[in-house]
Amino acid sequence: MSVGGGWETVIGLETHVQLRTRSKMFCGCSSVFGAPPNTNVCPVCLGLPGALPTVNGQAIRLAVRAALALGCEVHLRSIFARKNYFYPDLPKGYQISQYEEPLATGGGLSFTSPERGPVTASIVRLHVEEDAGKSLHDRVPRNTAVDLNRSGVPLAEIVTGPDFRSPQEARAYLLALKEVLQYADVSDCDLEKGSLRVDANVSVRRRGDSELGTKTEVKNINSFAFVEKALGLERDRQIATLEAGGRIEQQTMLFDVKANTVRPQRSKEESKDYRYFPEPDLPPLVVPDAWLDEERAALPELPAARRVRFAGQYGLPATDAAVLVQSRLIADYFEATVVAGADPKPAANWVMGEVLADVKERSGTLRVTPERLARLIDLLKDGTVSHSAAKQVFAAMADNGLGDPRAIAERLGLIQVADTGALGEWVDAVLSAHAGEVARYKAGEVKLLPFFVGQVMKASKGKADPKLVPALLKERLGG
Amino acid sequence: MSISREEVEKIARLAELQVDEAALPGLVDQLSRILEYVAQIAALAATESAQPFHPGPAAIRFRPDEVRPAPLAFGPERMAPAFRDGFFLVPRLGAFEAGRDDAAEEDA
Amino acid sequence: MTATDPVVDRLAAAAPLHALLTPTAEVRSALAAQAAAAPPSGPLAGMPVVVKDNICTLEYTTTCGSRILEGYRSPFEATAITRLKAAGALIAGKTNCDEFAMGSSTEHSAYGRSFHPIDRERVPGGSSGGSAALVGAGAVPAALGSETGGSVRQPAAFCGVVGIKPTYGRVSRYGLVAFGSSLDQIGVFGRTVSDAGRVLAAISGRDPLDATCEDRDPLPLPAVPENLQGFVIGIPKEYFPSDLDPGVRRACDRTIRLLKDLGAAVRDVSLPHTPYAIPTYYIIAPAEASSNLARYDGVRYGPRPAGAVDVRALYRATRGHGFGAEVRRRVLIGTYVLSAGYYDAYYRRAQRMRSLIAQDFRNVFDRGVDLLFTPSTPTPPFKAGEKLGDPVAMYLADIFTVTANLAGLPALTLPIGRVQGLPVGGQLIGPAFLEDEMLEAAFTLERSVEPEAEA
Repeated sequence: MSVGGGWETVIGLETHVQLRTRSKMFCGCSSVFGAPPNTNVCPVCLGLPGALPTVNGQAIRLAVRAALALGCEVHLRSIFARKNYFYPDLPKGYQISQYEEPLATGGGLSFTSPERGPVTASIVRLHVEEDAGKSLHDRVPRNTAVDLNRSGVPLAEIVTGPDFRSPQEARAYLLALKEVLQYADVSDCDLEKGSLRVDANVSVRRRGDSELGTKTEVKNINSFAFVEKALGLERDRQIATLEAGGRIEQQTMLFDVKANTVRPQRSKEESKDYRYFPEPDLPPLVVPDAWLDEERAALPELPAARRVRFAGQYGLPATDAAVLVQSRLIADYFEATVVAGADPKPAANWVMGEVLADVKERSGTLRVTPERLARLIDLLKDGTVSHSAAKQVFAAMADNGLGDPRAIAERLGLIQVADTGALGEWVDAVLSAHAGEVARYKAGEVKLLPFFVGQVMKASKGKADPKLVPALLKERLGG
Repeated sequence: MSISREEVEKIARLAELQVDEAALPGLVDQLSRILEYVAQIAALAATESAQPFHPGPAAIRFRPDEVRPAPLAFGPERMAPAFRDGFFLVPRLGAFEAGRDDAAEEDA
Repeated sequence: MTATDPVVDRLAAAAPLHALLTPTAEVRSALAAQAAAAPPSGPLAGMPVVVKDNICTLEYTTTCGSRILEGYRSPFEATAITRLKAAGALIAGKTNCDEFAMGSSTEHSAYGRSFHPIDRERVPGGSSGGSAALVGAGAVPAALGSETGGSVRQPAAFCGVVGIKPTYGRVSRYGLVAFGSSLDQIGVFGRTVSDAGRVLAAISGRDPLDATCEDRDPLPLPAVPENLQGFVIGIPKEYFPSDLDPGVRRACDRTIRLLKDLGAAVRDVSLPHTPYAIPTYYIIAPAEASSNLARYDGVRYGPRPAGAVDVRALYRATRGHGFGAEVRRRVLIGTYVLSAGYYDAYYRRAQRMRSLIAQDFRNVFDRGVDLLFTPSTPTPPFKAGEKLGDPVAMYLADIFTVTANLAGLPALTLPIGRVQGLPVGGQLIGPAFLEDEMLEAAFTLERSVEPEAEA
C-alpha cells in the first residue's frame, strides 16, 4: 500500500515483553498466566501498607540477555524509578520502572522491510519494570473488575527510534523482534496472550521534510495483523486531517477492532506528569560482571546470522532458510538431522513438510528424533522405500515414538522390491493380461508406457520400485 | 517561592485530593509559607555539583526465581470493600475513558 | 487471674493518657492467646511491648492514626513483630500517633491527641507519642515507634525515657507503613538503655523481604564499660544556638561536665550544613510520602465512602475524607516538589544537600570523634495547641533530630534532667552501624546522670 500525495509516515514502537520467569519481578508470587483471579497475590503485589519490593535476579538476567541480543550497551549500574499515576489495577499508585538511568541503551535490530529491503531499527533503550494488573470493564455492570494476578509480572520495555516508514515495516520489525527474543529464550512474545504488547507513535510529514510531525500514540493493538491495520488507519486519519487544513493533536488513540477505527482516548484533563523519582525502596541495580560474560557467551546464534549460514552452508534457497530458522526448535532439529547423516536438501524438505505439519497438529512436540528421520531419508535415497511409503513410515514413527525406520517399513510391508526376478514376474503377468495394449504399444503408441507402469504398481501393491519398472517393461516390450 | 491557586488545584488533581473551595485560600497560604521556607536550600551553590545521597546497601541483592509468596494470613476477599467472583470491584471507568495511560482492556 | 493481667491493669491505669488505641479488653484476650501459644522464653521473655499503630500486626488493627485505615486488619505482620514474638515478648496493643507518622506532637492523630504523662496540658511529642507516653508512665517497659525525622527521639525526650533510632538498614522496614522510605526506621523506647537496647537487638538484622535492610547479623549487645576513658565526644556548635531554651542548655552543660568526669575527651566540632537540614527534610519526606500514600484509594482495603459514581470520584472521596489536614498538606507539597518543572529545583537539589549533610558527619567521625552529644529537642515539652497555628513552627521542633535521619545514622536520647518538672533529653549520634559504641556510652552515662534532677 503506497502513500500518495507526497506524504511520509514515521512510526516508532514501544514494546513490553514479559520476561520468562517463574515468579514476579518484585515478589515471590507465581507469574504464570491463567490462575483464578487474585490468587497469585501477596502483600507486595497487592500494594498493602507496609509491603516492600525485592528484585528477581532471573528477570534481570533475561533482560541483560535481551539487551545483548539486541546489540545494546548494558549499563552495569542502573536505577529503578517510580512512575506515579492512579488507576484501579495499579495497586501502589505507582509503577516501579526505570527512567533516567535504564539498564541498556544504544542497540539495533535488523529486519527486512517489504518496501526498502534490509533496515536496522535503532533500539534507543531497554529497561525493566513491573506490569500492572488487569481491569475488566464489561464483566460486572456499572463496575470495573480488577484482577491483580498480573500485577508485578516482570517486563522489559524496548523502545525504538522513529525508524519505520510504513505499518508493514512496523509489523516486519515486530516479527523480527519476536524471533530474536524467542531465540534468546527471553520471552514467549505472544501478542494474543499479552506477553508482548505494542504501543506505537505515529506521525506524518511531507516527503522531503526533515522535521517530524506531531505524533499520536496508538494503543490497544492485540495482534500482528492489527498492527498494520491500526497504524494504517491512524496514518490515513492524520493525512486526511492535514489535507483538510486541520492540526494533529498530540493525544492517545485507541484501536477499536469492532468499529475498524482509531479514536481518541476520551479525557485527560492535562498531559501526564508521572513525577518520576528514584525508587527509595531499592538500592542501585548493579549487574555482576560475571552475568554479562555468561549471558554473552550463552547467546545462541541469532536468526539473522543463522539464515545466512543455512543458505551458505547447506546450499538452501533463502526462503527455505527463512522457514527453517523461524523457530529455534525447528532450526536445531534440522541441523541435528543433517548431523545424523541426512543430505541437507531432502532434510530441509522433510522438516518443512512432514515434520512441521506434525508439529502443528501436535501443538509443538517433535515426535520423531532427528536420527530416525535421517535414517528414513537414507532409505528413501537408496530406493529401499518409495516416497509415499516413506510418509507412511514417518507417520508410524510419529505415533509410536520408537522403532527403527527399516524395521517399521518391513513390518508394514513397504520395502520396495528391486529384485529383477520378482519384478519380471509382475511385468510378465501385466503384459499377458493386456495383450491389446501390448499390440498398440508395439504399433507405436509409446505413451501407453505409464499405463503399464501403473498396472505393475497395482499388481505389486505398490511394492515395485517404480524407478526400475519402466526399463524392464521396455525391455520386455522390445522397444 | 509562593504557589498560586491554580497550581494548588492542579497538584490536588494529580494527587486525587479534593480540596474544599472554602479551604483553598488558607491552604494556598500555608503551602506558600512551607515552600518559601524549604526553598532556602537553593541558596547553596554546592548543591549543583554534589552527588545525591541514598542510605542503605550499595547494590540490590537478588532474590532467586522461586515461587515463594510472602505470607498472607487471609485473601483479598476479606479485606476488600467490594469483591465479587474473585475480583475487586470499583465503580466503572467509562469505556475508553481517562485513567491509565493504557487502553481500556477487552474482557479476557 | 492470668500472668498477663498485671500488664493489662497497668495499661488500663494509663488510659487517661489516650495513648493506647486498642481497647484493654482486646489486649487482655490477645495477650492471653499469645502467652498460651508461645511459652515465654528467649531474651525478652514475657516483656510486654506496645507498638505504634503504623507497624503491621496480626493481633490488632493497624490504622496509622488515620481514618483512611479505620478498622484495617493487616493480613501480615512486620518482621520486627515476628522477631519480638520469637524473642518471647508480648505485643500488648497499638499506640496512638500522628497520622501516618506526620507530626511532632501526636495532635494530628485522627483519633484524638495523646497526653503527656506528667502534665496533661502538654504533648507527649510525636509522631510516636502514644508509645512514648506509655513507657514514660511506667505502663510498659518498652515500646516500638518509628523514626522519619525524630519521631522516636523527640517524644522519648519529652516523656523522660530512652529512645533509639538505629542506623538506616539496621532494622527491617517490612511491615512498617511507609512515610519517607529513605528516612524511615523502626525505633525503640525503653525505661532504661538496657530495655531499649535488648529490644533493638531482638528486632535487628538482615531481612530478605526488605531490600534496604543491610545484610548484617543482629546487633550485639555490648557490656557496660567502667567509664568513658578513650571516648572522644564531639559537641557540634550548630546544636547549641544562642536561642536554645536555657533549661535545656543547663541540662546539657551539666551532662557535658559529667561526660568529662567519666573520662571522655570532649571536643568542639562543627556540622556546617545543619541549618539546611529542616528544609531538606521537608522536601524529601513529603515527596516520598506523596508517592507512598497513593495506594490509599479505597479500591482494595480500608473503608470506602458510599455513592461514588466513578473511580475518580471514589479516589477523591476516599482520600478527601480519609486524610487529615497535615497529611493533605504534605502530600500536596510532595506532589509539587516532584512535579515537572520543580523536580530539579526542589527534590534533586534536596537529595544533593542531603549528601553534604551526611558528609559533615563523616568529616567529624573520620577525625577521631567517636560520638556526638547534643540536646534532643530545642525546648521542653510544649503545650497542646501551641504549634498548630503555623506548620513550619511544628517542623522546627525536629531541628536536632532530622540530621541523623537524613544521614542515615544511629542516634539515642536519654533523660538528662528536668526543666520546671518536665523531662528533657540528651542525644548521642554515632557513626553508621556502630550502635554498640553508642550503647556503651549511653549505659555509662545513664548510671551517673540524674534524670529527675532539676537543671
